[in-house]
Amino acid sequence: MASKTVSEHSGVSTKVKRKFFSSRDWAGYILSAPLIIGILGFAVYPMVAAFIMSFQRTANSLTGDWVGLRNYVYVIGDSLFWKAVYNTFYMGVLSVILGVSLSFILATLIHNVPWLRWKNFFKGVYFLPNVVSLVATSILFTLLFNPGQGGILNFFLGFFGVEPIGWFTDPSVARFSIVLMTLWGMLGYNTIIFIAALTSVPRDLYEAAEVDGANWFKKWFYITIPYLRPIIVFMVIMGTISAMKRFTDVWLIGGTAGNPAGSLMTAVLYIYRNAFLSSQMGVATAASYLLFIMILVLTVSLLLLNRRSNFD
Amino acid sequence: MQPAIDKTIMNKDKNDQSPRGTMTKQRRIGNFFLILVLSIGSLVMIIPFLWMLFTSFDWQARLNIPFPPRFWPEEFSTRTYTLAFSNIPMLKYIFNSLIISVGVILVSLFSAVMSGYAISKLKFKGAAIVLVLALSTMMIPFEMTMIPQYLLFNYLNLLDSYWAFYLPALNFAFGTFLAKSFIDQLPGTLREAAIIDGAGEIKVFWQIYLPLCIPILATMAILQFLAVWNDLLWPLLALNTPDKFTIQLGLALFSYNKTTPMPSIIMAATTVSLIPVVVTYLFLQRYIVESIALSGIKQ
Repeated sequence: MASKTVSEHSGVSTKVKRKFFSSRDWAGYILSAPLIIGILGFAVYPMVAAFIMSFQRTANSLTGDWVGLRNYVYVIGDSLFWKAVYNTFYMGVLSVILGVSLSFILATLIHNVPWLRWKNFFKGVYFLPNVVSLVATSILFTLLFNPGQGGILNFFLGFFGVEPIGWFTDPSVARFSIVLMTLWGMLGYNTIIFIAALTSVPRDLYEAAEVDGANWFKKWFYITIPYLRPIIVFMVIMGTISAMKRFTDVWLIGGTAGNPAGSLMTAVLYIYRNAFLSSQMGVATAASYLLFIMILVLTVSLLLLNRRSNFD
Repeated sequence: MQPAIDKTIMNKDKNDQSPRGTMTKQRRIGNFFLILVLSIGSLVMIIPFLWMLFTSFDWQARLNIPFPPRFWPEEFSTRTYTLAFSNIPMLKYIFNSLIISVGVILVSLFSAVMSGYAISKLKFKGAAIVLVLALSTMMIPFEMTMIPQYLLFNYLNLLDSYWAFYLPALNFAFGTFLAKSFIDQLPGTLREAAIIDGAGEIKVFWQIYLPLCIPILATMAILQFLAVWNDLLWPLLALNTPDKFTIQLGLALFSYNKTTPMPSIIMAATTVSLIPVVVTYLFLQRYIVESIALSGIKQ
């Protein structure tokens, strides 16, 4: 009984010091054991296994024939992979830029509402789509974005003389429709975090600026934005990472082919196809490592960019 | 009426001379527009939900989208819900999702709070390494590890069982981080005093610190519930037997495999799938919003 020995010794710390691990250490290991097992089993092991598998030809097991870099060569030479990466970036960049700037403006607006009741109401409403699953959102939006005149959005736009748009059927529009859907779903998340950050800006900064005769725009531009920059950078990084992992919505809307015309093929969808439809686990893990490297490079360069502009 | 207008004009002139007066007036107009803009935005957020709800009762929309599109159902009926329940075993799926959520929350919260306490207060040899390791696993996207993880569970013969959800929950690194920073703020003297009184380390954790951690545990439970409830990718890979499907998986596969649009039936099913989260949200809205804000700022 580990806990019993612990209780006998730990009171007398001088006695225990002779051993390499004190009873306090042992208690620490016992309490951290679940986490350590979890890290080893579900983070370290899969990373190592995926790395090894990416150099093997395997159908459906953890071992296979060694094929060297052939999987990587295949993926890099596959035009579908680059199409998937391009689509992922296209949707990611748009949704991050629009999402962060819109939610920042929205947060500033909500933050300036003088009545607490209204403030909480708006917070609640704008955040609501965020608790809705991506599955439900995708199903709902395929109906709202129905092509032709049957779709409610097209019908509504018809009043303004807009021709029916093939939201999820026109290859040149589908990616943008996904971005719109993502904005609806994710706007509240960023907004809530921005509002929390806005309340932490010290009031006296604004008061000092007011004394110097700054208007609201100057205060916003010269105090609020610089003060919130770490949060903005965090949002951009988190948004980029989650955009690089886009799967659920494009799978539900465009299927495994990323329809229409492959415009909704994303990197994770490419990995999923190779792993679970064509049973090419080696190719899939190679693609997943390439995706991981892209995410890492993006994250690190965003962080470096932020650090460099800090010195200005 | 004439004198009244004159009076207001006079007042306005007066106000123009004193900056304080115009400020309040400007601010009042500003506030009006602020509320107006935010209300219009709120409508954009809410309208999809309303359309979903109304369409779900529209008997004529059970096969195809009616033309012209409408908000208010022409033939109001709850039979769409009966059809939804007979096509998709929703209650079963919701129950499955609940079981998985509760299991994952229990496993991940215990793992997180125990390790967080050990790293914060016991400072065992190697605690810093464990923390750094845990934090760096947060950088690894699930999409990266899903293939070996799938093959591992396949090898262990645990695919298509809920162990495929409970076991990976052991690694809830963000929870460890949240718990660690929370417990850092609790006094260490509690532990020392109890140890001197002869209590064991595990007992100190269990009886003294764990009850104090309830606020952060609630936050973690909310974050995990939303994540597990709404997840699709891992259930899609791990579960095969329709009897074991989660609500998201059941709904997604039904929508994925259907051949006609069936707007009102699929909207009825979606509405039912949203009830648990939306009800939770309505009751715990403040806590959920606070948890999200906290988790965002902490990261």
